[in-house]
Amino acid sequence: MIKKGAKSRQPRNLLFLFEALSLSLLFLYQWDSLEKSTYITAIGLVLIIYLSNFLLLKISDGDQYIFLIVTMLLSIGLIMIYRIDEGLGVKQLLWISIGILTFYLTYFVLRYIKGWRNWGILYLGLSYLLFLFTFVLGSRIKGAKNWIKIGGISFQPAEITKLLLIFIIASFYSNKEKYKDIKYSNYYLVGIVYSFIALLFLQKDLGMAVLFYVIFLALQYIYEEDRKLIFLNIGLFLAGGLLGYVVFDHVKVRFVTWLNPWPYIDNKGYQIIQSLFAIAEGGFFGTGLGLGHPYFIPHADTDFIFSAICEEMGLFTGIGIIMLFLILVYRGFKIALRQKNKFYKILALGISVLFGIQSIVIIGGVLKVIPLTGITLPFVSYGGSSMLSNFIALGVLQVASEDLGLEDEHYEIGE
Amino acid sequence: MFNILSLVFKYIFIIIIYLFIFSIIRLIYLDIGNMNYDDTDNSAYLKLINKMEDLPYKISEYYTIDEKLTFGRNQSNDIYIKDPFVSKRHFQIIEDEGDYYLEDLDSANGTYLNQEKIEDVVKLRNGDIIKISNIEFLFVNK
Amino acid sequence: MKLENKRIISVLIVFCLSFIGLVGYMSYFQVFRAEKIKQNSYNKRLWINEENIVRGSILDRNGTVLAYSEKQGDEIKRYYKYGRLYSHIIGYSYREYGKAGLELTYNSQLLNINENSAINEIINIVAPSTVGNNLELTIDHGLQEKTRNLLKGKKGTVISMNPKTGEIYSMVSLPDFDSSRLKEDWNEIAEDPNSPFLNRAIQGLYPPGSTFKLITTIGALNTSNLDLEYDCVGSVNVHGYTFTDYQGKGHGHLNLKSALVNSCNTYFTSKSTEIGRDTLGRVAEGFMFNNKIPFDLPVKTSSFPVNENIDKTGLAAASIGQGKVLATPLNMLLVASGIANDGEVVQPYLVKNIVSKDGKMLKTTRTETLSRGTSSIMADKVKDMMIDVIKYGTGKNGSIKNVQVAGKTGTAENASGNSHAWFVGFAPADDPKIAVTVLLEEEGSSGGRSAAPIARDLIIYALNNIKF
Repeated sequence: MIKKGAKSRQPRNLLFLFEALSLSLLFLYQWDSLEKSTYITAIGLVLIIYLSNFLLLKISDGDQYIFLIVTMLLSIGLIMIYRIDEGLGVKQLLWISIGILTFYLTYFVLRYIKGWRNWGILYLGLSYLLFLFTFVLGSRIKGAKNWIKIGGISFQPAEITKLLLIFIIASFYSNKEKYKDIKYSNYYLVGIVYSFIALLFLQKDLGMAVLFYVIFLALQYIYEEDRKLIFLNIGLFLAGGLLGYVVFDHVKVRFVTWLNPWPYIDNKGYQIIQSLFAIAEGGFFGTGLGLGHPYFIPHADTDFIFSAICEEMGLFTGIGIIMLFLILVYRGFKIALRQKNKFYKILALGISVLFGIQSIVIIGGVLKVIPLTGITLPFVSYGGSSMLSNFIALGVLQVASEDLGLEDEHYEIGE
Repeated sequence: MFNILSLVFKYIFIIIIYLFIFSIIRLIYLDIGNMNYDDTDNSAYLKLINKMEDLPYKISEYYTIDEKLTFGRNQSNDIYIKDPFVSKRHFQIIEDEGDYYLEDLDSANGTYLNQEKIEDVVKLRNGDIIKISNIEFLFVNK
Repeated sequence: MKLENKRIISVLIVFCLSFIGLVGYMSYFQVFRAEKIKQNSYNKRLWINEENIVRGSILDRNGTVLAYSEKQGDEIKRYYKYGRLYSHIIGYSYREYGKAGLELTYNSQLLNINENSAINEIINIVAPSTVGNNLELTIDHGLQEKTRNLLKGKKGTVISMNPKTGEIYSMVSLPDFDSSRLKEDWNEIAEDPNSPFLNRAIQGLYPPGSTFKLITTIGALNTSNLDLEYDCVGSVNVHGYTFTDYQGKGHGHLNLKSALVNSCNTYFTSKSTEIGRDTLGRVAEGFMFNNKIPFDLPVKTSSFPVNENIDKTGLAAASIGQGKVLATPLNMLLVASGIANDGEVVQPYLVKNIVSKDGKMLKTTRTETLSRGTSSIMADKVKDMMIDVIKYGTGKNGSIKNVQVAGKTGTAENASGNSHAWFVGFAPADDPKIAVTVLLEEEGSSGGRSAAPIARDLIIYALNNIKF
């Protein structure tokens, strides 16, 4: 007989080894101030990750790699966050646990409730509602008005809206026939997405605006039959970007400090230059955990976590992270290619594009390859709402990786 | 003490991360051969039911059936499997006027269709399961 | 393949390329850009080491402390005890303004941190240094003070060294600045048109004027069949250009010795064609012209036009240290030292020893020969002539009772209109212990009148006070 799951055991064990070693190193680093609860949570996390990887194999006959890749990213990020701020590390552990639960919850809800693709209007309404909430209840963090606080917990509604956007687009293109009779239905979609982008612009959340745009552009490129609409989209964005550059000061600042931050070293260009210092200082192998100075990097636990990792764990770990995202995106596209159910196929694509562009935008940003826009590095950065939304996305991707074609047959017939 | 450990560990971490990436890429490589499954849209195909990763030899997840498809241990077959329980020429599927027929080629261990060992040529229906040794294929013909 | 899937794959390819591009850029950044970016003074990491290490002290040859650091609470403060006196030797080390002088050259030794390499990296982390190493200089603090007093009120430089060992005893360049008041004075210093940051001894290039005739004299001795006799009428026309003597007076009948003693321009310019560019260039290069002089501080390279096409007039001008010849005062000091040291030019140095905090000698500088300027016989001949320069010639103001001084004066014309006053020499002539160069920038008076007395007073002080 063949040993079941023999091959996927190897990376799982490597992951386990990585976590065990790095956590014990961190405990040593903070030996004096170590609390029992931390200790327990950490062991809990290793178990949760190991078990959930193992469980997933039993539950889902879909893709086995994406969750594995994501848990590796989680581990690297968590170690860095814990090293920067112990308290934050413990909180992140909690978020990861909740995230994994959300992942399973998403998986089962999506698996056993049918009809998701028909609720486009619901997603749309929900999105606008979230935007409305942000404007009414929003508080300003890091110069962007994109957070709402409910009962002491800060929450970034756009993290959920980005998923709703993917659902809206998926539901639109998979119900193409339904909308055929409505004139200019394609243009309505463009209008909706641009209204989102404009709202994000007003919140000064440039990173998210770019994210929304790229997701839309990629899906439009693949599914839009009216090809001239794509050029219109690109043209509109360029015009909008130019307008934003002229009208909004914060857009101009990003652009100027990208071209040459050095004259603004102690004001506007401070962040990006601190990031470059950290990456340069790290060299190929890094200074070693606990031996660098990630405190010098602003927002080292969120937007600039990649720079902090490069400083202490080296360029090679940085490249490792990029490669992990590359395989994750590759798997996502692979899932989309294999999926026969159009709605889930578009969802899988949208989510892969989301993971891909989000990591490219922030890694490219901190490397000064492209203008810096503040967004989190998925699964690596600290943050509750981004952690939850990314895990929901991963759950959707997991469902999409399964063979749904035969189950949804009746929809196909209806077309 | 911590400093020394940290210095040593940074190399170990990089090695582990890369081993991890490598092992995942290796797993993915094992199924890279079936980028052509999407030709299956309009024709009949066999889908592997076993997890590919569980089989100790090179195998694809999808095989399209044009006019004829042969299965066996010999390399001249359309699907050849290095399994000792598979005969050199084990079975074949032949298309005839839109229908597909399965025929065992006097294999040593037999071919099973929906748990039943077949003796003669059998017409295949969508959803049939073909089993040889411990390999199972789903026959799909929409 | 369906169109839809084709498009999916092309989007995937775009993503893959973007990721690979990021990896490529990161590698490029690390290999080609990181080193320079790291060194930016805004990088706080650069100062992390220094904030925890007590920088080593700098002492003179007799153990007098010149600069030291002290811990004050959380901060470590650097003290420059003699403010202006060592501004061009020790320099400074400030977080805001960076480093200069020996503070820059010997930074890692003063901090006792190891240069980048795998093993040293481990040493730095496992046993981080807390106290740096001390530098023991060749400078004599008393002579340094004396030198600065002699030069006070003028613009220029005075350097003295041991011609046999290469130890620099004193080096002063004026105007200078106060190393301990850099924060307060920075703007003033930076805007001063007389550039106080410039160490004229090593960074200033000047026409050496008549002091260069020492080289031309050796060139003449090296030219066979050269008629060394000459009748001076006060001016001579070389290839269409008239060279005149100081104040236009003729010197009458001259040989090589009396020509040097009287610093006769017409003699050397009229012999220059026969000596030739190649011979003159070879001698000049033997005395480190056109060569980088290795030193503890960065030195500009003196130049003699060996590769340029210069006509006879140009060569004539060069033979008396004008035209295209430019020299640093340190280089002219090496010319005098070389003659004093039987024709051998030794490497000058400022740092004698590097000593660890617990007194262990980490490095001792040894005397090294840089080049052979001329043969010992020729050096002796020129030395005799230089003695006569002081006894009977232009350098009479440099003479000392009971001590035989050898020297050469120079008055170099330059674009400013006010000539530079030069003096190079050494003493005692029979067993040279100290060589001196004096340069007074745009002094407007002759080297014999203004530069020679400074050298004389310096030599008197040095011979009486330095423990050689």
